[in-house]
Formats: sequence, C-alpha cells, structure tokens
Amino acid sequence: MTSLAQKVVAQEEIIEMCSVRVGQTLYGIPVTRILEILGKPVKQPVPLAPDYIGGLVHYRGEVLTTVSLRRLLEMPPREDAEDILVFEGADGYFGLLVDEVGEVMTVMPADFESNPSTLDDRRKALFAGAYKLKNALLVMLDPERLDPVRLADAAPA
Amino acid sequence: MERCLTELEERPDDRELLAEIFRAVHTIKGTTGFLGFSRLESLAHAGENLLGLLRDGKLKANAEIISGLLALLDILREILASIEGAGEEGHGDDAAMIERLRVLQHGGPASEIPAKKKRTRKSRTKAVSAIATASMAEIGHAQEETKAIEVYQAEQQTAQMRASVNTAESTLRVDVDLLNRMMNLVGELVLTRNQILQMVGADTNLTLLSRRLDMVTADLREAVMKARMQPVSHVFSKFPRMVRDLAQQLNKRVRLVMEGQETELDKSLLEAIKDPLTHSVRNAIDHGIEAPHLREAAGKDAEGTLRLRAYQEGSHVIIEVSDDGGGMKVERIRDKALERKLITRERAAQLSDRELMQLIFLPGFSTAEAVTNVSGRGVGMDVVRTNVEKIGGKVEIDSRAGRGTTLRLRIPLTLAIVPALIVYSRGQSFALPQGALSELVHLSSEQVSEQVEWMEGAALYRLRGKLLPLVFLSSLLKQREQASKSEEAYIAVLNAEGRRYGLVVDSLADPEEIVVKPLSSVLKQIGLFSGATVLGNGEMALILDPGAIATQSNIGMALEDHEAEAPETALTDGLTEYLLMQAGNEHAAVPLESVLRIERVPRARMEQLHGMPVLRFEDSLLPLQDRTSNAAEEEMTVVVCRDRERHVGIAVAQVLDVASGRPLNEAGTHTAAQDVTLLKEKITSVIQLGRIPALPGAYPLEGEFVEEAEAIL
Repeated sequence: MTSLAQKVVAQEEIIEMCSVRVGQTLYGIPVTRILEILGKPVKQPVPLAPDYIGGLVHYRGEVLTTVSLRRLLEMPPREDAEDILVFEGADGYFGLLVDEVGEVMTVMPADFESNPSTLDDRRKALFAGAYKLKNALLVMLDPERLDPVRLADAAPA
Repeated sequence: MERCLTELEERPDDRELLAEIFRAVHTIKGTTGFLGFSRLESLAHAGENLLGLLRDGKLKANAEIISGLLALLDILREILASIEGAGEEGHGDDAAMIERLRVLQHGGPASEIPAKKKRTRKSRTKAVSAIATASMAEIGHAQEETKAIEVYQAEQQTAQMRASVNTAESTLRVDVDLLNRMMNLVGELVLTRNQILQMVGADTNLTLLSRRLDMVTADLREAVMKARMQPVSHVFSKFPRMVRDLAQQLNKRVRLVMEGQETELDKSLLEAIKDPLTHSVRNAIDHGIEAPHLREAAGKDAEGTLRLRAYQEGSHVIIEVSDDGGGMKVERIRDKALERKLITRERAAQLSDRELMQLIFLPGFSTAEAVTNVSGRGVGMDVVRTNVEKIGGKVEIDSRAGRGTTLRLRIPLTLAIVPALIVYSRGQSFALPQGALSELVHLSSEQVSEQVEWMEGAALYRLRGKLLPLVFLSSLLKQREQASKSEEAYIAVLNAEGRRYGLVVDSLADPEEIVVKPLSSVLKQIGLFSGATVLGNGEMALILDPGAIATQSNIGMALEDHEAEAPETALTDGLTEYLLMQAGNEHAAVPLESVLRIERVPRARMEQLHGMPVLRFEDSLLPLQDRTSNAAEEEMTVVVCRDRERHVGIAVAQVLDVASGRPLNEAGTHTAAQDVTLLKEKITSVIQLGRIPALPGAYPLEGEFVEEAEAIL
C-alpha cells in the first residue's frame, strides 16, 4: 500500500494513454476517460444515419451508438470486425470504433505538442495534439470532440 | 376523504361513512393541535363541529354542506402541502371559511347561503392563492424531480401523516430511476439467458441448469415489472370531485360509477393517460350528458350516469368512459366536418355512420354549440387519440343517438415491453410494433410484378378492391444492398394515427416481445425509428415508427378503411372473436387471438411426415391439420396459429370473415358445449389446436419438459 502511495506522488506527472490503431496511425486516449473496451462485437448498421455513425452495439442492456473514427477521417471502411471504446458523452454512453486497441502507454506532459498548422481542418477539429514517443507520434484524441452529439452539431449534413 | 365526501352526497344517511370522515378530520385536529399548527387546528375544529352534527343526525348532508366541506378540504390540503414544502402553515385568513362552516351548522336559510358562498369563495381563493402560489409550485416541482413511486397504494389523501406512519413498516419508496435500471439489468439477463440456452448442447445437467435460469429470469422480470405497476385508482380518485364540480358548474346531475379501480398499469403509462382520460370525462359531462329537463323530456332519469370502467384484456388494459347521454348525432358530425372543411362533400356521402363517427378524432373538430370553459375549443379528441397512440394504445368510440357514448382507451400493460413483428429488409431486421399492424399480405415474386400497380411513381396495391398506398421499406431507408434472389415480398398493412398504408418488406420472422431501448439523439433525428431492441437471438433491431413513416411518405388520412374492424365490437364484451373459415363443406373457426398469420401456399408444398401433413417454412416445420376437401385446388390457405408454445397450421379452402361467437349451452345442462360456437347465427365447429398432434420426436413443451426432467432426477 505504501508503495502505491509513493508511486502516485512520484508519477504525478505521468499520463496513462490507451493506444489504438486506425490505419497506420497510432492514437492515444487517456485511460481515465475509457469506461470499457468491447472486443469486436456485432454491429447493427443504421440506415439513413450520418456517415460517421458506425452502427449500434448492444452494451449492458443499453443500445450504444458508435462513431467510426475511420469514416470520420474519410478512410475506406474496414472489412474485419473492429474494437470499440466506450465513453460517457453528453447524451449518455457512446462508442468509438477503431481498428485495434493496443497496449497502455505512459507519456509525459512535457512531450505534448499541439496540432501542427499544416494539418487539414477536419483532423484539426478531431485531434487534440500529439505526444512525441521515442520513435513515433501518439496522436491524442479527446473523447469530447468525438461525441456524436457534438459531431451532429458541427458536421455539415 | 374527497371520495368519502362525494359518496356522502349520494348516501347522506350512511353513518359509517360519516364516522370515517369525522375520524379523519378529528385526527387532523388532534395531530395539528399537538404540533402547534394553529390554522389547521381551527379549521379542522370548525369542520369537526359541522361533521359532529351530521354524525349525530341533527343535520342532514346536502349539496351546500358537501360543497362547504370540500372547500374546507381544499384549504386543509393547501396548508398541508405548504407544511410539507416550507415547514410552516403559511399565512391566510380562514375566518370566512370558518364562518361559512358555522352558517352551515345552523342550516342557514337557503337565501342567505348563496350570498355567503360568493363571499367565502372569493376570500378563500385569495387566501389559498397567497399560500399556494409559491409553495405549491415548488412542491409540485420537487415531487416531480424525485420521481418516487409510492409502491403502496396509500389511503388517498387523508391525513398523510397518519398514513405514512402506518405503512412505513411494510413498504418502501423506491426511486423510479432505480426501477428503470433494474428493468434494464433484467433485460440484459434475459439476453444472456437466451444466449446460454442456444449454446447448451447435449449436456443434461447444463440443460437442467439453464432451464432453471430461464424460469428464474422470467419470474424476476415479472417481479420487476410488477414493481412498476400502480392501480388505476391513482388516476380515478380525482374524478369524483371533478365530476361533481363540473356537473354543478353546468347545472347537470351526474352520477359517477367507477369499476375495476384495482386494475394495474405501468407507472409511466398511468401518467400518460391522465390527460386523455380527464379530457374524455370532461367531454362526456359537457357534450354527452344532457341537462336534467332534457333528460326527463326524453324519458330518462334526470340524473345522468357516467361510468368509468377499467379491466384487463390480454396484454392490454381497457379503460371505458361511457355516459348515458344524448349520444352523437352522425348528421351533426358530418355537418360540422363539412363546415370546418375537414372532408369534402363527396367523401362525406360515401362514409358509413361508424366511419363518420371517427371524424371526431380529426384535429380541429368540435360539435359543441358554444365554446364553454369546460370544453369545445376544438382541441379535443384528436389530442386524446394522439396521446393514447403515443404510448402504443388505441381509442375507439361507439355511440348511439339518444342512448349514450362509450369511449374506449386500449392501453398496453407496459411500455417497456411491446409485442412486435420482426421483418427483414435487405437482410437487416427491423421490429414493427403490432399495435399498428392490421394484416399481412404475402406476394410471390410473380405477384409482386403483376399486382403492385404504379401511378406516376407511386406504388399501389388493390386490397379487397380498394387501393392501398405502398411504401417500400428498402427504398425508404435507401438500402443499397441488392434484393435477395427470390423477389417475393410481404405487405404489412399498417394503421397509424388514422392513416392506412402498406409497408413492403422482404420477409418476416416470428412475432417477439421486445424490450424497447431509447436511441441516442443523433439517431432520433432520422425520425423513422422509435427505438432499438435486442432480439432473442442477440441480434439488434431498429424499431420502426409507423406514424413517422406515414408522415415522411405523405400518407394521408384514410377514413374509408375502417371496415376491417367489425362494427359490433362494442357489443361483444365477454364474447370471443373467431376467424371463420371454409373447411370443405362446413364452416370452421379458430379463436382470433391465436391466429399468427394467414398464407396462401400451393398445395404441392404440403408434405407428409409419418403420415402427418406438415409444411416447411425455411428452417422450421409446421404441423398441419388438413381441412381442405378438394384436392384438385392448386392453392390452399394456411392459417398459422399459436398453440401455447408451438405453432400449428390449419389448411382450409379459404378464410371467410372475423366474427364474435356466442357460446352454446348443451341442452339440459347449463354448461357451454365444447368445440362449437354460434357465429353469425350459424353453428360452427371450433378447431381445438391442442389436438393437432405434435411432430414426431419434436421438442416437448416447456412445462412437460420440466416435469420430465424432474422425473429423471
């Protein structure tokens, strides 16, 4: 127990990020924001829904609306099943579809850089910045920006 | 106490009733005096004096006295509410009220009373509004927010303090949110159970265990649903007072009869029917029941009767509001509808009386001669219908000129679980609420191309000679996938908010009881789905909203198509509805409620299994009873029925009609003869579904299975 307390003090600055992969890019989401990770569940498509809606998933007796990061980034749809991260949004829970959930990484606030100005507007709106890893970049995602309610308000129909 | 007082007006000599009221007021007086609420105490004291005289028979209750006591009750209630909210009585002048009660005690001369009444009314409202406006609003709000259900049906409004002490030991107040959560978790459990049941293989022990899980889950689900139920008396209880006040206001004499108050309904539904029901009661008194002199002139009792009746029928609760008033005059309805330009003259000429009656549900309709402050503002029955249909219910009206009107609200038992038909469109499943579904038509691939007619891009189908507008679900949903090879289709004939159309889907699955899950706001905006659900096989399905589909497809009101409803339904209480079929040379019938669907199939599809006729539907086998006599016919009609857990089919030449059957007594006995009923004044045999033999080696019924299993153990 004491070691845990010491750890907290010592690692105050360290942020734990869950890494996810979409296409070739590695994205990071603060672990504290993730409620649950669902491994490749069956999705039900919703006809007439906005393009970025990935479908419905059954989650703890509720119906979970999912947002597809792939489609948000205008990437071609993926044939294989996708993993889902569950977040709490403005209008209840929502899910984020990603190609694959990876390991948990620790990053330091000092390694954070905001979005480069050359990034296209669509991505600028979605990404919160990036952490410099030893040999790669971890693009930071902010669940609030991926909330379907917010996307519905922002996205041009 | 309100109930007691209105009852007292009917039975002024009922000593027990008087004693009950007296005790209630006395309790208030005693408790409040002890707690130091002086206003309450003095008011209760004045009331007690008056009641004392009534109890001892020195005074006889009359309308004036009851009005006075009801007014007292109002003030007491306001003060109690104020105490509950703000912890104090509030300030108000009760002298007028006390004076009014004092005058009543002396049986004040009749001439004096109206003057007094006027004065007291005014000051009373002033006093009340002074206390009430702020505190009442707050309390109302606060109560709404906590959303607590009092599971125990408390003894109306009488001395709440006393009641709460008595019931505290055996009941709990439970947060509705908690109940909703429990409901969700149970839903989750049901699904997990379904999946386990599908996974269970040959292992006997596991089978037994999963069966047990199955039963426990079902019981649990029932118990949680039960916890959400409240008796309709929660809504009914306010009507005696309302009816009384309204009747006085309109100078009418109305007797209120309430039946079936213990009938239970889901809490949220009870809330939802409050307004429509209040509206219907107001309507019945204002428009239905005539003034006393008119009633006498018509040879009726001067006092009109308003009957509120609640009872359960299958998975629905029926609430009837019936009056013995003037009824609706069809001519007047038609004239009014023409005057308000709700229908055209040509159309009106085509409508039957019963169809004309349905016009009152159109928005902007009112037959009241003058706009009174009770009703007649043109917002009326359409609101009743909209509100009831919103919760999956139905409204029916039946009226006879000079005899009265019956309004029937058909409310599903619970909102959370809805019977729905699962339909497929381009491989995706959707749930179609059965409340809106009136019939299903199967079209083979040739029929699709032959019988669906096109008029400038609008698809139509001739249903019994009338054109039915069609909506193709796949094109409505812009589903890109190609249709499956077989181009056959089903038309689900829907009746949504008075609009009738056919929804074309690719195929059907069995009906299912679905648990409705709300959609997120983004998906609600699509506007065609009312929710989503998880099916028994773990798949998800979107729930179609028939009303919204009609709106989006510009389906108009179709009044002429009510012929499907038998006009006599109103008079068939207690009788069973049957589906009448032509079986060989005689008529046969099955109870309508057991009928799942009707299909036309080629005779060649009937196969034999161990000498038993069977029909194969994709992956399932249907045991058949062959009642066709003419084997030369190429096609036959198969009526698929539900017999407890299993489905059975009856092959007949054709389906004739739907009618209600009257039981026949066997001569000499007073017991109804089995297997036979009187349909349309003809003796008709009723097919006993249970006697259709099970498939050889078929899975036994659940109940038997458990017994069997236990026998093995």
